[in-house]
Amino acid sequence: MVKIKKTRLKDFIDFVQQEYDVFAPTEVGKKTAFKKIDSAFEIIHDIVNTDRSPKEVFFPQSEVLFEYGKDGLKTPERKEKPIAVWGLRHCDTSSLTMLNKVFSDAHQMPDKDMFKDPYWKEKYDNSLIFNQACNTPLSTCFCHWFGRGPFDKTSSDIFVVDVDDVFLLEGISEKGKAFLAKYEKAEQATKEDEAKITELKRKAESFLAEKTDISELFEKIGKLWDEPIWEEISGKCVNCGACTFVCSTCHCFDVSDEGKKGKGKRIRLWDSCMFQLFTKEASGHNPRGISTQRVRQRFMHKYNYFMDNYGVHLCTGCGRCVQVCPVNLDVRELIKKVLDYKIS
Amino acid sequence: MQQLINQVKKILKAKEVDLVIGWGKGSLPFSATPVFIETEEDADKLIFDQTCRNNLTSYLTKDKRRLTKAYEKIGIIVKGCDSRSVVLYAVENQIKREDVVLIGVPCQGVFEKKKIAKLAEGKEVLEYKINGDNIILNGRDFESKYPLKDVLCDSCLTCQYPDAPEYDFFIGTPRKEVSIPEAYKIVEDFEKKSAEERWNYIKEEYSKCIRCYACRNVCPSCYCPECFVDQNDPQWIGKTPEVTDSIIFHLIRNLHIAGRCVDCGACVSACPVDLDLRVMSKKVEKEIKERFDYLAGIDINEKPAMATYCENEKQDFIMG
Amino acid sequence: MSNTYIPIPMKVEKILAENPDRSLRTYDLSFVNEADGKNFHYVPGQFCEFSILGKGESPFGIASSPTEEGILKFTVSRTGSVTNEIHYLQEGDIVGVRGPLGNWYPFEKFKGKDVVIIGGGFAFTTLRSLLVFMLENREDYGKITVIYGARTPDFFIYKEELQEWDKREDLNLILTIDKPVPEWDKLCGFVPVVTKEVSPDPNSWCVICGPPAMIKFTLPVLLELNFAHDKIYTSLERRMKCGIGKCGRCGIGSKYVCIDGPVFSYEELKKIPDAF
Repeated sequence: MVKIKKTRLKDFIDFVQQEYDVFAPTEVGKKTAFKKIDSAFEIIHDIVNTDRSPKEVFFPQSEVLFEYGKDGLKTPERKEKPIAVWGLRHCDTSSLTMLNKVFSDAHQMPDKDMFKDPYWKEKYDNSLIFNQACNTPLSTCFCHWFGRGPFDKTSSDIFVVDVDDVFLLEGISEKGKAFLAKYEKAEQATKEDEAKITELKRKAESFLAEKTDISELFEKIGKLWDEPIWEEISGKCVNCGACTFVCSTCHCFDVSDEGKKGKGKRIRLWDSCMFQLFTKEASGHNPRGISTQRVRQRFMHKYNYFMDNYGVHLCTGCGRCVQVCPVNLDVRELIKKVLDYKIS
Repeated sequence: MQQLINQVKKILKAKEVDLVIGWGKGSLPFSATPVFIETEEDADKLIFDQTCRNNLTSYLTKDKRRLTKAYEKIGIIVKGCDSRSVVLYAVENQIKREDVVLIGVPCQGVFEKKKIAKLAEGKEVLEYKINGDNIILNGRDFESKYPLKDVLCDSCLTCQYPDAPEYDFFIGTPRKEVSIPEAYKIVEDFEKKSAEERWNYIKEEYSKCIRCYACRNVCPSCYCPECFVDQNDPQWIGKTPEVTDSIIFHLIRNLHIAGRCVDCGACVSACPVDLDLRVMSKKVEKEIKERFDYLAGIDINEKPAMATYCENEKQDFIMG
Repeated sequence: MSNTYIPIPMKVEKILAENPDRSLRTYDLSFVNEADGKNFHYVPGQFCEFSILGKGESPFGIASSPTEEGILKFTVSRTGSVTNEIHYLQEGDIVGVRGPLGNWYPFEKFKGKDVVIIGGGFAFTTLRSLLVFMLENREDYGKITVIYGARTPDFFIYKEELQEWDKREDLNLILTIDKPVPEWDKLCGFVPVVTKEVSPDPNSWCVICGPPAMIKFTLPVLLELNFAHDKIYTSLERRMKCGIGKCGRCGIGSKYVCIDGPVFSYEELKKIPDAF
């Protein structure tokens, strides 16, 4: 483990930038998001969750699949450096691994090349992920329900802890270790430094609200498809897409052509299963035409279908949806309702 | 609060309504949550305070009018702005006034949680206390005091009708129209800008839009079964978060709710990226007021401004 | 890495209006680049995303059989903005196709067995693919029975071929229309009723495609006849975009119609809520 003084962070970020484009929590409009930064001074260090999730770093809200014109089709050529993301909390780091499952595999046919998404892979496969310990979880955080925690180090390249006036950095993956080794200006961390991590971790965990045992969630929610609980839950939902758009794991998208017959581009853009038109067919038939069906789809996907296909819940407990929902449809309460529900 | 609960129990018991839509305690300190009450027992869940932000009347028209189809008579607890939405629905023949029972509550303004977050500068506020004209915010390791008006919705600060002008029951005594000398200050400030500044402002503001349509979906006046932005045959506008498309979405929405917006502030509160949605809607409201002397949702017998025509109306806008 | 989002350029070779109101048209497409054709390996039941640049994509089952080399055949009903645009196409135009996508009818399992094909309206497209494929390899299969229903005689597709198939000794083709019209000498009645009357051998494998109502009412007939649940197959239709199990649109339960389907057995479907 090495340490970098906060006053020297700029030097380290400059070093990272020699090889990578650095994305970090920064201000965008009146909100915070992971955006490409020019210098370390733009980084906001003391927020827990950015308002917008980091999925847009690798899966932008709108992305050109190809352009077409007189000379045929042209896929966009990526000229930028590979991506490094600084300041991800573990919830967000794990959301990227979930999205990576979707964009790298198809659940039945993981080996087939045709199911790999080149746009995602080109960015994610070459990235460097800094996973920063979360010192002050919010009251809306529930990562621990999923067996994760604010100081988890998995699925990242380099683990970062903000301790007093330094950042402690630990290489986790081979790539991360090799990268850190190249930065010669870092000091070796001392035993005292490392001891502080234990204390910070204990403190962070004490901030987490009461844990709900969700070990039965997958099976239980799977039995509720036909139950009236969905009407009760969806009653107040207004079917906007705010939860799905700030969600770090929601990945439904639309493909749309912009331009005219002879010249234009095909793009993909975030879509939402909350929208009525998401599944409406040209014939007018809509398999999920009413709100209850769409709300059920969203939460079944999160806590049943995805588990079925990829062995993990499609939710990290980051709490963004809890914060933005205009009608306070709190997913934690939904989970508790599901677990407490008596099947009729 | 008990008075409200008792009133709701009474009308449920007397079968004057089959369902009452109100607010219950939410899971976050500054958000109440909509509740749907069918039994007297459930009525105990009802609350009314500054966290009761949602305009619940939008449930009358949303999701293919599911509720209005399922229940014969619906009771709704309304603030001033909410009751204006019901008047709007009646005027626009979306509901019959007699099919809903309005329970007015005395509104002191509702919290804008974004303002609170801004005051707390990134720290999480876990509790609050109201102390006269002040609010005390508490977090894990801080306490700070602010004037109450600094945390209320902008709409509330210029609200002329805090208490429902239209109601069947009222909890307490309703105040009459309140005079607000600077009701259109934000519009006047906007109008003072040069054309270029205004355009830049609009471009900058709407470039942040993520097209989640939370503003539209919470808006009581946006009740089209299929919104023009969703139509794809023909497709009127692009679906990307490109600023040109977002501007078209927001400005057309503003025109669609011209003379129909009750300034409940639901869109502003719902926006996850804090767009300044109110300048344009207020601007349109002011135009309608000046040209046609019309304010939405006040007079249930008055035809909507955009549905009537008089020969002596100003025509200058046609020629610019 | 291959990029599944990029359409293959294809040329419209032939357009055939299938019915008098011209709302159904069949398009024969050929590969613009020979190499694309060589790499395009499909089997009956699979589908493609038909791409009109500037308008978008729409999924259609492949109506041609892999035995018909060099062409892909699609039958398109005019219902939305993309299909509208497809109907404006002229012979010689260049379009895009992505595929083959999805799974297929389990024709390997049909070997040596009797097969019943039940179709309705213009949902006969991938059934044509299967039928042509089986007729090309006729000796591989037992008895083949086809029950095909349409509202009126005009609404059958592939009419010329139907006439030829009708003449074949090695194929039992049963055509039926909803209500009697003059000069119609075949059966009259809805597909479920006719299926009951024909009463196919329940040891056969069955493939059924058609409007949801037809499937809904024919399934009980098959079950009553004692068809095994895992020997009845159908092809589902859903709105799709990516075709490779990512965009989330065609989800039914934990399955995606685009990669886990479109072909499902009744055995699988009865476990998926709301599949029909």
